[in-house]
Amino acid sequence: MQTFLIVVGIILLIAILMYNNLIAKKNQVNNIFASLDAMLKKRYDLLPNLVASVQEYTSHEKTTLEQITALRAQASNTTQNTHETISLDADFSKLLGTLMLSVENYPELKANENFSHLQHTLNELEEQISAARRAYNQSVTDFNNALEMFPTNMMARFMRLEHKALFEIPKSERNTVDVKKLFKH
Amino acid sequence: MMKTNVASLMDYFYEQMYGDLKILEKDRLVIVSKLQKTALILIILSLITLIFLTSRLLFPFLHALVLVSTFSFLVYLFIYRHQSAGYRLLFKEEVIAKIVQFIDPSLQYQSENHISENEYAMSELFLDDFDRFSGNDLVQGTINGVALKFSDLNVEKKIEDRERKEHWVSIFQGLFFVADFNKKISHKTFVLPDTAGNTLGVLGEWMQGLDKRWGEFVRLDNTTFERYFVVYGDQIESRYILSSSLMERIIAFKEKTGKSLYISFVNSKMYLCVDYKKDLFEPILTQSLLDFAPIKDYFQLLSHVLGIVEAFKLDEKIWSKR
Repeated sequence: MQTFLIVVGIILLIAILMYNNLIAKKNQVNNIFASLDAMLKKRYDLLPNLVASVQEYTSHEKTTLEQITALRAQASNTTQNTHETISLDADFSKLLGTLMLSVENYPELKANENFSHLQHTLNELEEQISAARRAYNQSVTDFNNALEMFPTNMMARFMRLEHKALFEIPKSERNTVDVKKLFKH
Repeated sequence: MMKTNVASLMDYFYEQMYGDLKILEKDRLVIVSKLQKTALILIILSLITLIFLTSRLLFPFLHALVLVSTFSFLVYLFIYRHQSAGYRLLFKEEVIAKIVQFIDPSLQYQSENHISENEYAMSELFLDDFDRFSGNDLVQGTINGVALKFSDLNVEKKIEDRERKEHWVSIFQGLFFVADFNKKISHKTFVLPDTAGNTLGVLGEWMQGLDKRWGEFVRLDNTTFERYFVVYGDQIESRYILSSSLMERIIAFKEKTGKSLYISFVNSKMYLCVDYKKDLFEPILTQSLLDFAPIKDYFQLLSHVLGIVEAFKLDEKIWSKR
């Protein structure tokens, strides 16, 4: 009887530890996602200014600007789930990248102090977002691992936890372009 | 602009340093011959004493040998210290200071000064209380617009063993480097040598996760970096600081140095400690000053340290800190 009680006690203790561990991992993911989301919002807030100043100097970038405005509206109107936030961010980064490249064609715009300040803030924010993405991905990987590995996978199934999606790291971030090299040829 | 070219150092050596070094070299030779004579006299004296002590049967041979050799060794050490002290100062003035001048004339060098206790404490890298704090060879100034400072440090603590005997234990001995960091930061991030993770594997990593002295354990996405280091700090900001490129640069620096590195990012400053376990920039009495090779070694060490600014791209101004 006594040994039986001890065994039950140990099993219960392990179950509690696993449960708490999974909850901690889940909350870690949520926490980091919240900070990431805040940064993405900050970036969306910068956009009206950006669109306004680009519009002033350019005529050919209309479609990109319209797309950006549309995406921003989408981002601010609906309350999104994680998947939507992730896909919106990916679209956004791509658009912003093309815009920043085409800006190179407008020297007047580049010379504008307001715009260059905006560009710098955006660059800085982009770096922070990239760090947050990496942090998020690591926490999701930890969480997903726990969902698949034995014995936490059994507990996770019991708790009905689901896999979470990773942020796709934009290609431009994976291999940084060496600008100096480009100009050498 | 920092000069790192060995060929132009050679020109500088023969044009600017050689004349003074010739005079100092004479001093060195005098000291060396004095020390040789002292050693000879001490050996003869010890032998006489040894024979005297054992022939009169005052002590057994082994005891007498230990006694006499310890005593004469201490006497020699005293004379050595006394003789080389003046030479050491002149050496630093003529060699180290000149090389620092050559690399960048705007740099300041003080042979008898060091990084302050306060700055050491600010880094928060070593949490043990210390009882003895010393150092020398302070270099400070700006490289490519980045304010920096470094010196030799030797930080020790006193411990008592079971027999109540006191021992000095080293907490850190090596090079302590501080520079302005180019990103605005509000949390603290620590990069420490990964000892537990390497020796104990998964178990070590689990233990590192429990260690909250430096903050939260951060697992990064660069496997080589993870093999060398363990990182503590804020989950997002530590990744903001340790961008993929900075991680690569730290790995390269670590592999080039081959020593343990301790790095912290606190209050927009980067602290970097290289655990050389010895006092750097010291003269070797038996080495000729007129040889270029040792001069080159001192120069390469100095430019390696000053090169941290460029190697870690600390001079790349990030927008928020403009």
